Amino acid sequence: MQQVKTSVLRAALAFALGAGVFQSAAAAESSRVDPLKPLMLTSDGRLAYIITTRHWAVYPGKDLKTECPKGTNDGPREQFEKQFPTNGAKRTLVDTQLMREGRQWFPSTEREPFEFKEVAGKVSYGMDLDGQVKPTDFVGPDGEKGIDNQLFRAIGCISSYRPPGGHWRTSETQTLRRYNYNRFVIEITGVDSLENDAQVTVKSYRSLDPLMTDASGESFTPGAPQEIDERWGAFAQSTWTGKIVNGVLITDPADLVMPTAMSFGTTANHELRGVRFKLTLTPESAKGFMAGYAGVDDFIRHLNVSSATAIQSYGQLSSPSLYRAMHRLADGYPDPKTGEMTAISSALEVEFTRVFLTRGSATTGENPQLSQVKSGTKK
Amino acid sequence: MRRLAHINTLMTCAALVCGVMAHAGPNSDYRPPVKEFEEYKPEPLPPGFSVQLTDVDGPVFADPRGLTLYTWPLETLRNGEAGEHPDQPTCDNTRYTENTGYMTPYPKGLVLPDLPIRATCADVWRPVTADAGAKPVGKFSVVTRKDGTKQWAYERYALYTSSLDTKAGQVNGGTRRERRYDAPVLRRPIGPASNVPPAFDVKPHATGRLIVTGDSHSVYTWDGDEPNKSNCRAQCSDEWTAVIAGELVVAKGDWGIIERSPGVKQWTFRGKPLYTRVLDRRLRSLEGSDVQGWHNVYTQKNPEPPAGFTVQSARIGQVLADSAGRTLYVYNCGEDTVDQLACDHPTTTQAYRLAVCGNFDAERCNKTWPYVPAPENAVSGNLIWGTAWIDPKSGKLAEAKAAGAVHVWTFRDRPVYTFAQDTKPGDAYGDAWGEFWGNRNGFKAFWLRDDFTSAGRAGGNAD
Repeated sequence: MQQVKTSVLRAALAFALGAGVFQSAAAAESSRVDPLKPLMLTSDGRLAYIITTRHWAVYPGKDLKTECPKGTNDGPREQFEKQFPTNGAKRTLVDTQLMREGRQWFPSTEREPFEFKEVAGKVSYGMDLDGQVKPTDFVGPDGEKGIDNQLFRAIGCISSYRPPGGHWRTSETQTLRRYNYNRFVIEITGVDSLENDAQVTVKSYRSLDPLMTDASGESFTPGAPQEIDERWGAFAQSTWTGKIVNGVLITDPADLVMPTAMSFGTTANHELRGVRFKLTLTPESAKGFMAGYAGVDDFIRHLNVSSATAIQSYGQLSSPSLYRAMHRLADGYPDPKTGEMTAISSALEVEFTRVFLTRGSATTGENPQLSQVKSGTKK
Repeated sequence: MRRLAHINTLMTCAALVCGVMAHAGPNSDYRPPVKEFEEYKPEPLPPGFSVQLTDVDGPVFADPRGLTLYTWPLETLRNGEAGEHPDQPTCDNTRYTENTGYMTPYPKGLVLPDLPIRATCADVWRPVTADAGAKPVGKFSVVTRKDGTKQWAYERYALYTSSLDTKAGQVNGGTRRERRYDAPVLRRPIGPASNVPPAFDVKPHATGRLIVTGDSHSVYTWDGDEPNKSNCRAQCSDEWTAVIAGELVVAKGDWGIIERSPGVKQWTFRGKPLYTRVLDRRLRSLEGSDVQGWHNVYTQKNPEPPAGFTVQSARIGQVLADSAGRTLYVYNCGEDTVDQLACDHPTTTQAYRLAVCGNFDAERCNKTWPYVPAPENAVSGNLIWGTAWIDPKSGKLAEAKAAGAVHVWTFRDRPVYTFAQDTKPGDAYGDAWGEFWGNRNGFKAFWLRDDFTSAGRAGGNAD
């Protein structure tokens, strides 16, 4: 295993540093290599990228006033103060704190005494997920019509999600980079050219290794090895078919469970439906959007288990209020019994850095933590 | 070498001369149902005190009744500090009625739930009183309470017993495991130091008392070795590094030394050579035990959970589950008060739990977070797992076989739960459900192995 790792590291080093040598070797090795970008492909047409930036896409607009004419929403602290003004009245913990926590964990769609401010702008990042142009759709910054991103309408006036420094937005990327739980890799296979290829396959994995940065710690070095987490990370494996058009990877939709741990000692995933990629590819990186439908209940549960009320207060993010808005704006995956929409269109802004995937260390033992595993109980 | 050994003998004698054997204790000493026990370094004890073996917390100090001793050192919370300073016991009969606002975003001054049944600190944490003429013994000293009475202390922190412990070996009042983020300031069971050489340490883990190196790397043993003989050579030693013993170290108790090659000594534990693993990604790792024939090393393994429970693979490792594969959860609760009393036991207020388990609706709570039923004749065979009769409407203890009461499994004398949104083995959607990630008023999954969030090298999200 050590030898394998050493080999991979050598390959990575060659990738990162040995451009000239690699160039001629790669060109000689495969006739499929695009002559314009001889370094970009391995001889078997595989490329892997690891995610280094991920946050819910929020179009900043011209200014806050344009996007959110009524301003941004209140968070738990402001709502508490409005609900229970500091006026000397003696109140109980049950009627105040625990009442609010109960509704945090069991939110409802009943009206609440707080106004929720939605995005008023017409422009949004995202993709056309349903092939239709509807009155509720946005227009892309490039003029593309039919953009489905109702999540943006719900979160766009919550400080925590807004660029450049919203608390949740910042935390998403910080924890993505810091926690190995969040290593998310896509491997593109069957690639003949990074410019145009009529058919490629994309597979996703959870991997295990820290991100490799440059000396500043701020930029990511392409070519580092990443070992696929076959054991605990199988949940993150999905497959897409796609194509590359003018250097942009575009895929068909597929469901995805994405590792998204956000806070100390906690782990959680986003369970997204009908996710598709739109990524500009280079030999070293990929950048663009992942768009699909987020289950409303799953989104709110992820928010709550990942972020205590105290943390949500930092960015004026009221989970029960957002739950109501998301239910109101949900536009996908109707409940077969009630017809109520259960998911909301959404988009993630993402960036990836090229990596080399390795598979499986010598972990063949069962490693039972309790003897009962040996006795044939479920595993 | 000879001189060092002589000094060591003198020190041991000194401990014995102080009058109390560390092993001495009440007749009802508890013996956990495991094969091997953790060795510890004997210490001089006050008269009547003893060291008791426990199921998961290793050896602990106990009072003359055999009850586990606890301290409450000061720790920081979001908006203040709680606990005790050295030599200054504060846990008394003050009946607190309002929260302190230690935990944002909620303000202080809110009236606490169930005031008529709320205990005082001294009701729950009983001071270990000392006679007026009591003299300090070793690390044990005598401090004066505000009312003038004397109380035993250890390393200057006042000592208490828990109202939840009723016999030797029970540790229902707290745990030696690390405090999680924003958890209450917990009382800690105290005990003698593990008898490990300075190059090693023992870390409390969900499956036992894990031996690690002094810098927290896991150590392993190999089935390919023979007693007191290492066969790990050549390619084996590329992945597994022998734990080298220094020139001046001496064998003691479970710990031995072999000469691996001329002039190169290697540590052994219970006759098995010790190694670290080159490829471990994190501190306190269990990854090496995935390799066939290699094993983590424990001073003492935890007792098995009740028969029929299962272990499931999940997103960060392995989790304990019921017979149907449903992940088990424990409930944590501590009040936002000066005395930081727990609210996680069926004898305390249930207002906190009802808020987060069912929005104050007991029926919804029981559907969302069902208790784990236990057969009426269930026996765990240890003190850490047990059963209780619970009134599911109130969440309180009930008389055995009372109308409507349910017989449920308990861990540390508290019920364990499953979560309705988990639909298949390995799901753990309820982990971190509740206030402050389930650490202050909420639920945590019963993780047995955690390859991602436990403290470790780069990438662990405990930091």
